[in-house]
Amino acid sequence: MKNDGKRRAFLKVLGLGSVTLGTAGYSVAIEAGKTEKKPHYGMIFDQNKCVGCSDCEVACRKVNEVPQGQVRLYVENKTAPETPMEKKYVRVSCQQCEDAPCVAVCPSKACHRDAKTGIVTMNPDDCIACKYCIVACPYDVRFINHKTKAAENCNFCLNTNMAKGKEPACVESCKYKALVFGDLNDENSYINQILQVKDAVRMKPTFGTKPSLRYIPVVKVGV
Amino acid sequence: MNGAINFTYGFSHGVEWGWPIAVYLLLAGISGGALIIALLVRFYKKQHEDTSLLKAASLVSFSTIAFGMVFLVGDLEKPLYFWKILINYNFASVMSIGVMAISVYIPLTLVMCLYLFEKEISAVLAKKAQLLGYFEMVMVLLKKIRPMIEVLSVIFAVIICAYTGFLISVLVRFPILNTAILPALFVVSGLSAGTASAGMVASYFFKEDAHSPDLKTLHTIEWPIMAVEIMLIAMLFVSLLVGNEFQQSTTIAFKSGIYANLFWFGVMGVGFGLPLVLNFALGKHVAHSHAAFYLSGMASVAGVLCLRMFIIYAGQTFGV
Ligand code: SF4
Ligand code: SF4
Ligand code: SF4
Repeated sequence: MKNDGKRRAFLKVLGLGSVTLGTAGYSVAIEAGKTEKKPHYGMIFDQNKCVGCSDCEVACRKVNEVPQGQVRLYVENKTAPETPMEKKYVRVSCQQCEDAPCVAVCPSKACHRDAKTGIVTMNPDDCIACKYCIVACPYDVRFINHKTKAAENCNFCLNTNMAKGKEPACVESCKYKALVFGDLNDENSYINQILQVKDAVRMKPTFGTKPSLRYIPVVKVGV
Repeated sequence: MNGAINFTYGFSHGVEWGWPIAVYLLLAGISGGALIIALLVRFYKKQHEDTSLLKAASLVSFSTIAFGMVFLVGDLEKPLYFWKILINYNFASVMSIGVMAISVYIPLTLVMCLYLFEKEISAVLAKKAQLLGYFEMVMVLLKKIRPMIEVLSVIFAVIICAYTGFLISVLVRFPILNTAILPALFVVSGLSAGTASAGMVASYFFKEDAHSPDLKTLHTIEWPIMAVEIMLIAMLFVSLLVGNEFQQSTTIAFKSGIYANLFWFGVMGVGFGLPLVLNFALGKHVAHSHAAFYLSGMASVAGVLCLRMFIIYAGQTFGV
């Protein structure tokens, strides 16, 4: 944090006072974090419940003003051609890695971890659109937003729904309750209760980035 | 249980870092390579005079890195925001470290040019007595630290070549890129392209005889460098071949399709084959000709360009 103070002083000298507004909230959050446990937001996608209606995609695009033809969230049809009646869908979106390569490689700190919530998010004004984060993300779930010309990822609706105290748009819109959002650091949260009784997996865990999304796959138990 | 669920869709569109980055990687390699070679020759031969080779190398290293920056910044979708990198430093990012190294390296190459073109610059400034006075004053100061500047230049030239390798070797999604060999390969291929460029410029612009001692030296070290380069490429291939399922699947890049052609014709044929044929297979007469000298130099540079293109394009095409 020492660095941050210096940078702020430096910016003030330059007369770029407005930039400091962003960092002011940052240090306050850190101090608050000392008393209470920091949250670790995660999400479950239950493949058994998803019907592939793509309501979540639509809601996400609307709430987060994602330009036409682009998505933060995509529901991929993974139904095997041999068994066309056994529908299978998978949510494709930022996995909210605990060790996020996108944050590590971003030269301008536009792609960063929000200090208060720990969510990997972006500051479009600082992004120089070098695409380093896009090639560094092991899950290939980042893109340059055509309108803002900045790299973007699913940030659990941090600046939109969450700022209004609501659940992420996809979770809200899913009629089949295939998506559960919550704080993994809170033992009593609904998301943890589910994780205690169901088998959930992380996507491509061998990359070692510790994703915060959990998937409950369809598993047939031949009865 | 992890095979139970997976997604294969991605939001990027194939090759996100395209040819401008490959050209930048080539130019950075030439810049670093030329300066390393010329200064090492100078140290090794204990030269004190300003040789044509060093003149050529200084000019090449400054102009290629400056030109390279045009490609690097031009490839950004928001080039005018480049300054954001300079105020929001991220020390964990290879790109930030690279920008830091470049901002030391470019002034170093510029100072090297000042040393070697002092006479020429003075001649241009001759009419403006005041400017000339300032210039001479600065040069007096700069000359005192010349040995230090030369050593620093070699160190930073190596850093520049190596960082371009690290820049893309941290990309875990792409097995061809995500290898430890890449930075080494970039240093060595940079040396190869830099040697060829410095030699050609020395001969063409500074009238260095193609059989002068310095260019003979370059000509001799060219082949071991090439041998090491081939060895590193072979190691890269073998490490993919004996690697895990994903690494193995990328070896197709070497075997068929447009990238395999780029590799076998461009990198192997033009880059290594042509210079070898020109210098060894067609007799002394051809090998000593002017045409062969330039053709083989250009082939080396073209080969290294093909190598960078192959790595950038094939690397990002075959992802996990
Ligand atoms: S999934 Fe990609 S974009 Fe999301 S946090 Fe991980 S590395 Fe970053
Ligand atoms: S594209 Fe933007 S967010 Fe991504 S690494 Fe570059 S500056 Fe950072
Ligand atoms: S809204 Fe729910 S059921 Fe529909 S595609 Fe999204 S996750 Fe699946």
